[in-house]
Amino acid sequence: MTDLFQYVPGNSPLHRMNPVTKIALTLSVCVAAFLTDNLFVLLALILFDLMIGVAAGAFRKALAIFRGLFKVSLFLFVLQALFVRRGNRLLWIVTDEGLSTAAGVVLRLLAVCLPLALVLTVTRVSDIAGALVQVLHVPYAYAFTLTTAIRFIPQFMEEMSGIMEAQTARGVEFDTKNIFKKLGLILPLCVPLLISSIRRTGATATAAEVRGFNLRTRASGYKKYGFGLVDLAAVLISAALITGAALIP
Amino acid sequence: MIEVQSLTFRYEVSERDALRDVNLTVPDGAFLGIIGPAGAGKTTLLHCMSGIIPHAFPGDFYGAVRVGGLDTADNRLTDLSRLVGTVFQDVDSQIISSVVEDEILYGLENFGVPHEEIGDRLTAALEQVGISSLRERTIASLSGGQRQKVAIASLVALRPQILVLDEPTGELDPFSSRQIFTLLRTLNREHGMTVVVVEQKIMLLSEFADRLAVLNDGEIVKEGPVRGVLSDIPLLERIGVNCPRAALFSSLLAEKTGTEVPVCVSAEEAVEAARRVMG
Repeated sequence: MTDLFQYVPGNSPLHRMNPVTKIALTLSVCVAAFLTDNLFVLLALILFDLMIGVAAGAFRKALAIFRGLFKVSLFLFVLQALFVRRGNRLLWIVTDEGLSTAAGVVLRLLAVCLPLALVLTVTRVSDIAGALVQVLHVPYAYAFTLTTAIRFIPQFMEEMSGIMEAQTARGVEFDTKNIFKKLGLILPLCVPLLISSIRRTGATATAAEVRGFNLRTRASGYKKYGFGLVDLAAVLISAALITGAALIP
Repeated sequence: MIEVQSLTFRYEVSERDALRDVNLTVPDGAFLGIIGPAGAGKTTLLHCMSGIIPHAFPGDFYGAVRVGGLDTADNRLTDLSRLVGTVFQDVDSQIISSVVEDEILYGLENFGVPHEEIGDRLTAALEQVGISSLRERTIASLSGGQRQKVAIASLVALRPQILVLDEPTGELDPFSSRQIFTLLRTLNREHGMTVVVVEQKIMLLSEFADRLAVLNDGEIVKEGPVRGVLSDIPLLERIGVNCPRAALFSSLLAEKTGTEVPVCVSAEEAVEAARRVMG
């Protein structure tokens, strides 16, 4: 699970694309997914996501993300199908409109989550931050917040599994199949995790300060983020996605 | 040069002084090792030398610490860190980036190293620490020891006048530990960098450092050239510091044979001493 958000080195066109363009492309997929109610357009968006996954050399990872979202999707689907009361009744309390709304919600979720995760697979977080500062003139402190947050995800997970292993070794039943019992065991761990994270955040702030955090300006970045043909193509695709989603009924 | 004068420090949350009336001078170009039992105040002393105390940790600070002529209390931590590079004990909290290369770039970019110079410095630092092959790797995929090397490389790249390191080989195997100390010696001898290291591996430290300072319960109980400090075995045993076996051996040899034996800091020296005494 931890490696879902991890950068995977590579040299695909997506790797070479300007980080800002990648974010724009990601956001346009999201906008398109929310503009449309047409299930086929949503399916086409997912197909597009998968094609991006293939282009980035991360098809397997894309499938892993789908698998990860499966339970949530199922839950959402059932919930929507049971609670939407409009339309013609098909079976028990399930209506045709309920089913189509449920499918729409689930497909939208998949269409939106996939590019967000993929963007982190093909872009180093530091490049996202660097490009935001250089190209979009975002103040560095905000960009730093973003990088630190994403950098902390694997660290939290490591720490959490460390605590869980330590407790499992002393007889706590973390491997139980009962989800409520497991939740009851995990929740109390959040407090020590939170405390240790806050402490660690303080230390990281000091570490950043002693390496010149306060001196950083927009010109500091060593890497330059230019735009190329691949970026132009991505912008055109983004525009096409949004227009398509808006125009197709 | 680092000058510590009558330094007493107590953390805000603590009931007792972490350091008490510490006086210490580290001349330019020195290689000082700091040893002492757990809780003796070694990390606190290092933090005082790098200016992290009093800037990042609240508490009562008496006395003065001057680094390269700058009073640490009167100067910003950012300005002090141009002179002093710090390697923390908890490497995970020191690392800011997600990828090795970016971690080393971070300080270089911030301190305004000219961009045409950055590429060479980056490559050189990776080579010096022996981690060129890790350049593109993510931090999350590295072992504890590898992370420690990355942290050291990120400071080495900055080429500060003074380098202070808190147990830099804590997670390293014997081979890598020696590699790091050899690097520190090169930086010290060839680039004139002043090095201050807190280290538990006293045998290794004694071999590379010029001087040792022994801390116990917040006070410096002994300071001087390595062999001089190691000759006081009763003191080291009393405060619970593990004395290097070579030094123990040479003192036993002197005691049992009644001859004068110089303090040994390595196995080779001990063998040599034994040969000489036994004829």
